Amino acid sequence: MASSVFSKVDEYGFERPEDFDYETYEDFMSQYLVVLAKRAKKWHELIGEGKSLKRSLTVKRYVRKGIPGEHRGMVWMTVSGADIMREELGHDWYQRLLSGPKDQEIIDTVKMDLPRTYPDNIFFNAADDHQIRLCNILVAYAHDNKEVGYCQGLNYIAGLLLLVTKDDETTFWLLKVLVERVLPKYYTRTMDGVITDIAVLEELVRAKVPDVYRHVRNVGLPWAVITTKWFICLFAEVLPIETVLRVWDCLFYEGSKIIFRVCITLIKRNREQLLQCSDFSSLAECFKEITHDSLVMQCHDFMQSIFKTPGSLPASSISRLRTKLAQHKLDQQPR
Amino acid sequence: MANRGGAQRPNGGPGKICQFKLVLLGESAVGKSSLVLRFVKGQFHEYQESTIGAAFLTQTVCLEDTTVKFEIWDTAGQERYHSLAPMYYRGAQAAIVVYDITNQDTFGRAKTWVKELQRQASPNIVIALAGNKADLANKRVVEYDEAQAYAEENGLLFMETSAKTAMNVNEIFLAIAKKLPKNEQVSGAGSSGQTRRLVESEQQKAPGNCCK
Repeated sequence: MASSVFSKVDEYGFERPEDFDYETYEDFMSQYLVVLAKRAKKWHELIGEGKSLKRSLTVKRYVRKGIPGEHRGMVWMTVSGADIMREELGHDWYQRLLSGPKDQEIIDTVKMDLPRTYPDNIFFNAADDHQIRLCNILVAYAHDNKEVGYCQGLNYIAGLLLLVTKDDETTFWLLKVLVERVLPKYYTRTMDGVITDIAVLEELVRAKVPDVYRHVRNVGLPWAVITTKWFICLFAEVLPIETVLRVWDCLFYEGSKIIFRVCITLIKRNREQLLQCSDFSSLAECFKEITHDSLVMQCHDFMQSIFKTPGSLPASSISRLRTKLAQHKLDQQPR
Repeated sequence: MANRGGAQRPNGGPGKICQFKLVLLGESAVGKSSLVLRFVKGQFHEYQESTIGAAFLTQTVCLEDTTVKFEIWDTAGQERYHSLAPMYYRGAQAAIVVYDITNQDTFGRAKTWVKELQRQASPNIVIALAGNKADLANKRVVEYDEAQAYAEENGLLFMETSAKTAMNVNEIFLAIAKKLPKNEQVSGAGSSGQTRRLVESEQQKAPGNCCK
């Protein structure tokens, strides 16, 4: 893993951008490797003793401090309930979907996005087999869940799941559990869940960072423009890769409210910088920059801060806001 | 309020600066992001990542006496992202509706976008139709004349473009810049969408103060 510090390609196969800040990254990694070693030992003890990964304060705390890369697939399957889903539907579910009848239109749509998924990742260039594997997973899922079918953005999520778990079937189940259990209707044909959650975020920002809320409103930048990709891609292609995976650790365990914690932390921690952007273009640019700076690269500190910076964020109030704002949208619809 | 000392000014002579919001619409994979990338950065990637939600960029073009700054909103093409589209084209003064000359369905979808813009966007919106991937002429299925006739009927600017070879990319943005009204109040729908004319000698004003 340490070798990736000096490599132009990271451990997941992503080419580092030209302007990659190696110095800051090395500083961070020299500390983070110590954390990783400690966490690896702790997890080894937890899993090695055959203790249950069932929901408990200990497991939750462990997850928040980061799941070691080699255990991610298995732990995500357990804490999200994906493995129970697989028990219920049968272990040959994925294989049956693969060999079942296919809708050519779905295959064509998915195929169009394959070369456009992580083109800068060495495993996703045409020479490797990841494009074909991703195609199988996305097509199988589109046939499994006809209400969702294929939604652009799922390619990035499934692609990253595949890079991490290195297993097609695990990727399929994790994708399924995200779309059907963890997230509220983000990828359906009308994407209602995303539209509602963008409105929920706006309300939360209004309550928690009111000056930024007013500023963004005055400048006239819609929250949808800033955050649609944050919600749809669950920060893949938005935040640095290690940070994304640490967010996903918590997402699989704690559910979709983690997304709001990340969003509000980003906004709150960069409040002054955002307030200084006086026009539309610089503000939009600033919202991009704050997803790449050294604050978010320091994934361990960042993940600690998402549980402190936003303050209290009970699931019940998010669910209340979702109901209220979804209804509000319905009321507005017939124009 | 908003523009506290914000928008850029050119180093050159007096001339006015107008800022316009331009949105790109069209079916998935017709080349919307590639057109923007070519126009803004002069680059082309064979495999351009699919746009999720919307991307935002700016680019400036200079006309004789006016500098036109485009706020470019590039959107996701997949049908289901349609429900987000009004948030992006609200208040836009210009739109480029893109289709792929090698794919008939994308031309049909472009017509649907044009209809929607004519019905729902700002009444004075300048719409350009771009038949992209013109470098793939041997795979052409949408005839130039057919598209041009359609554009004429509907009062659209029309060009065939190639983000790959750069053919007509600057030209289509320039044609839009020329056609946009630079001196009168533009009735944009939202405060973010209104034209901001900023004259060198003038104090910066809030976005509500338009070309006038």
